[in-house]
Amino acid sequence: MIETSSMVRRLVFYAGIVGVWQAIFMTQVLPEALLPSPLQVIDTLAYNASTGALPFAVGTSLWRLFAGFAIAVAGGFAIGFYMAKYKVVHETVGSAVLGLQSIPSIAWVPVGLIWFGLNDAGILFVVIIGTIFAMAMSTYTGIRNIPPIYIKAARNMGASGISLLTNVVFPAALPHIVSGMRHGWSFAWRALINAEMLFTFLGLGFLLSVGRDLFNMAQVISVMIVIMTIGLVIDLLLFSKVEKAVEAKWGLR
Amino acid sequence: MAKLELHNISKVYNQSNGIVKTLSNINLQINEGEFVCLVGPSGCGKTTLLNIIAGLEKPDSGEVILDGRSVSDTGPDRTMVFQEGALFPWLRVIENVEFGLKVAGVQKEKRSERAMHYLDMMQLTKFADAYTYQLSTGMKQRVAIARSLVMDPEVLLMDEPFAAIDAQTRDLLLVELQLIWQRTRKTIVFVTHNISESVCLGDRVVVFTHRPATVKNEFKIDYRRPRLIEDTNLNTYAHAILKELKSEVVAALKEEFKEPKQSDGSERFDGSQ
Repeated sequence: MIETSSMVRRLVFYAGIVGVWQAIFMTQVLPEALLPSPLQVIDTLAYNASTGALPFAVGTSLWRLFAGFAIAVAGGFAIGFYMAKYKVVHETVGSAVLGLQSIPSIAWVPVGLIWFGLNDAGILFVVIIGTIFAMAMSTYTGIRNIPPIYIKAARNMGASGISLLTNVVFPAALPHIVSGMRHGWSFAWRALINAEMLFTFLGLGFLLSVGRDLFNMAQVISVMIVIMTIGLVIDLLLFSKVEKAVEAKWGLR
Repeated sequence: MAKLELHNISKVYNQSNGIVKTLSNINLQINEGEFVCLVGPSGCGKTTLLNIIAGLEKPDSGEVILDGRSVSDTGPDRTMVFQEGALFPWLRVIENVEFGLKVAGVQKEKRSERAMHYLDMMQLTKFADAYTYQLSTGMKQRVAIARSLVMDPEVLLMDEPFAAIDAQTRDLLLVELQLIWQRTRKTIVFVTHNISESVCLGDRVVVFTHRPATVKNEFKIDYRRPRLIEDTNLNTYAHAILKELKSEVVAALKEEFKEPKQSDGSERFDGSQ
């Protein structure tokens, strides 16, 4: 857990940022329309929360995020597993995966729009495709990096096939897979906001682009803060904890 | 009838560093309950031979016969203690020991009972719930031995299990292993490059030649147990074996000094590119 002193330092740091922001606002260098005050942003946040627009957007984004991420993890695991298992899959599918993972997720938005239309399926497609290749790569690396001696020892004690997979291959690759998931989740989160902004079909990305359309900077900034906070909270409360637990168990810490 | 027989085992294989290793026509008979040590210059293929017995590698020709029937696949009747221990870091000590039983589908209570029995034999019950990174190298090897014994194998294979352990701990383990062997009466095949270790442990020491590896000579060690490695009476045996092994070690070293010239790394520096 984060100790109190580091918590205090963090609080002071963020308070400092807000202070600088307020100071710049008060100098009136930038017109109010371009840079609202921290208070105005909080007002907008509270207003959007009270109308239900914000909770609804958060809910929509989160279910899309988790559904897309779950599918990407499962699919990426399967692709990565077969890449590690069969050389021919690595040579063929593997090279494609390497190329495809370098495509920024926003480049998949037109494809999602045209194939699926303006709906959840299109957005999910972008999230999945933006995440699945990175997951496949980390699963592949995780499995390839298993020391051969573990496999030898397991076979020596009678493991093979499914029992080898569940008792050795999967747990041995787990640290890699978990840190791959942590990366993958941030890919998914970005892909989701990209897609929602361009699809303009509900969710936080939609709320953000509405702010832009209405020239409401307070809304733009408030939604960005929400996006950042959710990202931070999920990373700290979920992935960082799981990663630490796995590393501790393995004696890597 | 011998417990374990090797019939004309031959194998030629390329290592990743370009060295060709060869096992040539190896014949060996090991009796029930016998403790046999295999010694030879490092890199001669002792480990490969052990892997072949375990079924982890296939010979080009020849066969391994256990209790009168030919075996070629891996099986828990021939468990191995590896040089590096090869314990699973994601499992607790007891779970490591239970591993083979779990794979075999033994019930939870039954397998933890058996695992505890062998942990007790290795004096490790206190560490049953520890993770392996919390153990010293010597303790890890004791867990690895427990993990192999719990399968109640017909033959226990040991591949230089004490090579990475400090001398003091190793000396204790040499005694401990003899006591366990006397208690369980397992047939043990123990690979080492350390002659004193081999005479301390073995009923019989089999000396291998350098590449192509084949059986050069055998020595019976008729001496009371448990033997201590510093026992000077064992020196007579060790000297005889050393005499036999020396020319092989020299041959191995010569080859090692010769070999880097053939690799691609060193050529870059003599201007020939």
